[in-house]
Amino acid sequence: MRYFEAPIVENRSLGGGYFVLRLSGCESLAGSRPGQFVMVRGDWGRDPLLPRAFSLLSAGSGGQAEILAKTVGPGTALLEKSSPGALLSVLGPLGTSFPAPSPETTDLLVAGGVGLPPLFMQAEHAARQKLAAHSEVLYGGRGAPDLVLLEQMKAFGVPLHLATEDGSVGVHGRVTLPLERRIEELGASQPGRKVRIMSCGPNAMLWAVGRIARKHGIECHLSLEEQMACGIGVCLGCAIPARSRPFRYVCKDGPVFLASDVLDVGAEPEAPGPSLCPS
Amino acid sequence: MSAEPTAGKPVTLAITSGGIEFRNPVLTASGTFGYAREFEGLNDLRAIGGLVTKGISPRPRFGNKTPRICETAAGMLNSIGLENVGVEGFEKEKLPYLRSCGARVLVNFFGTTFDEYVDCGERLARLDGVDGLEMNVSCPNIKAGGIEFGTDPRVLGELVRACRAVVRKPLWIKLTPNTSDIVALARACAENGADGLSIINTITGMAIDVRSRKPKIATTYGGLSGPAIKPIALRMVHQVHRAGVPLPISGIGGIQSGQDAVEFFLAGASTVQVGTQNFVDPAASERVVAEIEELCRRDGISDFRELIGALKSL
Repeated sequence: MRYFEAPIVENRSLGGGYFVLRLSGCESLAGSRPGQFVMVRGDWGRDPLLPRAFSLLSAGSGGQAEILAKTVGPGTALLEKSSPGALLSVLGPLGTSFPAPSPETTDLLVAGGVGLPPLFMQAEHAARQKLAAHSEVLYGGRGAPDLVLLEQMKAFGVPLHLATEDGSVGVHGRVTLPLERRIEELGASQPGRKVRIMSCGPNAMLWAVGRIARKHGIECHLSLEEQMACGIGVCLGCAIPARSRPFRYVCKDGPVFLASDVLDVGAEPEAPGPSLCPS
Repeated sequence: MSAEPTAGKPVTLAITSGGIEFRNPVLTASGTFGYAREFEGLNDLRAIGGLVTKGISPRPRFGNKTPRICETAAGMLNSIGLENVGVEGFEKEKLPYLRSCGARVLVNFFGTTFDEYVDCGERLARLDGVDGLEMNVSCPNIKAGGIEFGTDPRVLGELVRACRAVVRKPLWIKLTPNTSDIVALARACAENGADGLSIINTITGMAIDVRSRKPKIATTYGGLSGPAIKPIALRMVHQVHRAGVPLPISGIGGIQSGQDAVEFFLAGASTVQVGTQNFVDPAASERVVAEIEELCRRDGISDFRELIGALKSL
């Protein structure tokens, strides 16, 4: 993990509030694995104060790295407006990653909206390792503008199953529809059939994916998101209720967790005993 | 002021404050620097004056339900719930590394009853490698209906006295700003044997999500920190200093730069603690040391201690 300044090389708008920032000077991010993230902040004074966490979209050779963002608040709005040449402070790579692609498995990579980056990177790694036939991307969003970078993913040679809630592209409905269909077609529940699910997106979607995986007895890895101030296990803000312990931390123990480890999928998390002190 | 007389000359940053000898006056605030190992490689820990640990309680605590933090204007609210590894876990898992850092180590501690405070303070003070203790008195006193220990000068005085009797190392008290009379609290500490004051802890605050109509953190209220609270912290440091309370002050609240630190020195602090800024810029603490030195050099100040309480009137 390194802390450094990286200039923006390109700020590419994808429409719908989505944009890709390409940074140079990211030599120390080479070797980052799909699911790992960086804390990013621009030189924008005291407000907004905290750095923002982004899963890496790519971290290739040549010292360049990319993040995909969607403008949802003041921090992402400032990033969307940032120009090539502007410096960002970057801390990373941080956190855990998805398991590496394997010739022994078929991996269903389930992405929702701006949760695409770790699965995009996973698909790219699979393609690079000539394992594209062992991965499939299932990608959902509200409408067509929420499905981005489709051409690049097609170029990986990984099958692509799309779903939109408004029916404008792909299956009409949530991404869990094509997921259930592919699980059935692959016979994923059958003994000896090794299928894995890896997913990133809104929490409600992740819980639904986790439930489906549990129903079929499929190994499932979820990349979670939570408010965090530091990214390195210090502020303890990104706690999530876990089965094995009262809490696990998205920044250090995650962001990628075994679904069976961290979520009582579908249930409201319970408070872990009395909280006595305000801070 | 002219920069010539001391240009290039070393600036003295060392200070003995609250019974502890520091190589420089920059400490890391409790809860914002973990147990130091988390910042290995991000700061030269030897360049920092002192490390104040996460608050330790007699037994481990798991902390509050979530969400625990949210960003606010130039600051953040937190309600972590004083999650920590407990005295035993601290001694076994955290202290060996802290001891090796080459900076002074202050252990922040707390309890939920008088007896817990005393027990915790006594056990921590006995540990090798602990240079001093900082007592967090912002905890609710269960037996007194949940009122913070640190808001009533009489209760605070008794607590300080009880801990003082068993703590044979420097004992600092971290005051809560959630009071109408910070000077009375500071006096209660001085009169009962404390060695130093840390001013201030977080200010109780709240944030609301308009869409969901819910509080943004699970406990509704949390502690506000960051640059947003700096003017309040400066005012309180200054009030305690001006009142002549005979204890050195460690100033805390929104310090982001050497200039911020110097403001606290002028108001009367003899050391400062960098807190939330460690999240914003994980190399901040080391940088603040360098910036203080640079500011002193620029203004021809050979020893930073000249700045302490040197505020002029308008």
